[in-house]
Amino acid sequence: MAGVPFVFGNATTSIPLSNLDANFNTGLTIGNTTVGLGNTVTTLGNVTLNNVTINSGTSNVSPANVVATTLTIGGVALGAGDASIMKNRIINGAMVIDQRNAGASGTVINTYTLDRWYYQASAASKLTWQQNAGSVTPPVGFTNYIGFTSSSAFSIGSGDYFFLYQPIEGYNIADLGWGTANGKTVTLSFQVQSSLTGNFGGSIRNSAGNQNYPFSYTISAANTWTSVSVTIPAPNTGSSWNSTNGLGLQLVLSMAAGSAFSGTANAWTASNIYSVTGSTSVVGTSGATFYITGVQLEVGSSATGFEYRQYGQELALCQRYYYQTPNSTIYFSRGTSGLAYSTTGFEGAAFLFPQPMRASPSYSASGTVNFYNPSLGRVTNTGTVGIYLATTDTVYLNNANNGSGFVINSVYWLAGTVSNPSISFSAEL
Amino acid sequence: MQYKLFKDREGNVCSIVVIGGIHEQMSIPLNPDNTDYQAYLKWVEEGNTPLPADEVTNGN
Repeated sequence: MAGVPFVFGNATTSIPLSNLDANFNTGLTIGNTTVGLGNTVTTLGNVTLNNVTINSGTSNVSPANVVATTLTIGGVALGAGDASIMKNRIINGAMVIDQRNAGASGTVINTYTLDRWYYQASAASKLTWQQNAGSVTPPVGFTNYIGFTSSSAFSIGSGDYFFLYQPIEGYNIADLGWGTANGKTVTLSFQVQSSLTGNFGGSIRNSAGNQNYPFSYTISAANTWTSVSVTIPAPNTGSSWNSTNGLGLQLVLSMAAGSAFSGTANAWTASNIYSVTGSTSVVGTSGATFYITGVQLEVGSSATGFEYRQYGQELALCQRYYYQTPNSTIYFSRGTSGLAYSTTGFEGAAFLFPQPMRASPSYSASGTVNFYNPSLGRVTNTGTVGIYLATTDTVYLNNANNGSGFVINSVYWLAGTVSNPSISFSAEL
Repeated sequence: MQYKLFKDREGNVCSIVVIGGIHEQMSIPLNPDNTDYQAYLKWVEEGNTPLPADEVTNGN
């Protein structure tokens, strides 16, 4: 009979397999649990394992069976359920990408500032905005923020508003299930600093503005970065939230709001609300500052560590909504060549976007573009260049016979000038 | 700000040009998902009329 060798002290002997089988059938006790061996699937309960190494090979540990109230890795709490990868629904939450301004300041209202961040106001020239305005030290772990500085002491009226907001595409919130019985709780978090102290506010809204959740937070110490976390329950069942490539959700970070746009915190309302009643007005004090970064919106009822993305990833996410060519006074990149069909007319300039855009984009230039052929030279355009055809990945441009001196059937590139070194394409929400 | 129709060389309206906006040149595709085009349609619904397009020929 075959035996299995084993050692007791210095003695070596063997146990008949029949005896081993009999013993194994009775099971092996670990802790308070009897474990079957061989091919038997066994569940262990209340067992603490220390210094365990799982070697390569087949493992039957399934994430679905790992349950933890708070799962912490390396001291950082992970989000709820499926929220740990690409958990942040905010794009450019660390305020790193600034294609339009390259860090320059602006005072224009109702316009995009840093990528994906729109400044909306009821009155012009009250705030100056800029990436890293004031050059204060960003919060630990960040290199950038967006800053607003008040230009005067402006007393807001009931219908005034000044806020920074990010529109979020419906595709990026579809899994929240908002408007259904299975809507998920989300948590908003960010780092904020102001020269003022007090209560500040904001709002989460749907595209129609008829579902609003005003929220409030406090800045207790002036000129000090403050961590803010706000948990937002799912909105009412039956409310309308876009889940495709249109506007899904709006995050409003208010710097001042009149009574017509202020409401009660922490409750969903159909009223068109941007902030909370009694919030501090940044525009009310000349020279007041409001800086913010690290904005994150994620599934779950508690804030987790900010999700850092690589620069290229963040830029690509931004370019779904806006793309600006690198500056060039010769020709723009990405294949802008087209054909002169007459001495004045040009058509083509098949411009390939680096990322598929949310929708067919608008084309913009800050001045007159030219056309350039290395052998034939430069043709100055005297009028408008418009879109002949646009899709989500390509645009074709036409100059409507506004050029002069083209060589017919020759290829030209769309060319920048000193005053207009770049062109841009926008498919913003 | 004013809108103006823009024609291709076959004489078909292919986009909308914005005059007097924050950009010296801006052209909007005829696409309902484009928010600039949505704003144009709203502007028309409010009773406004765009400027006619320049007549385009095939040149010589």
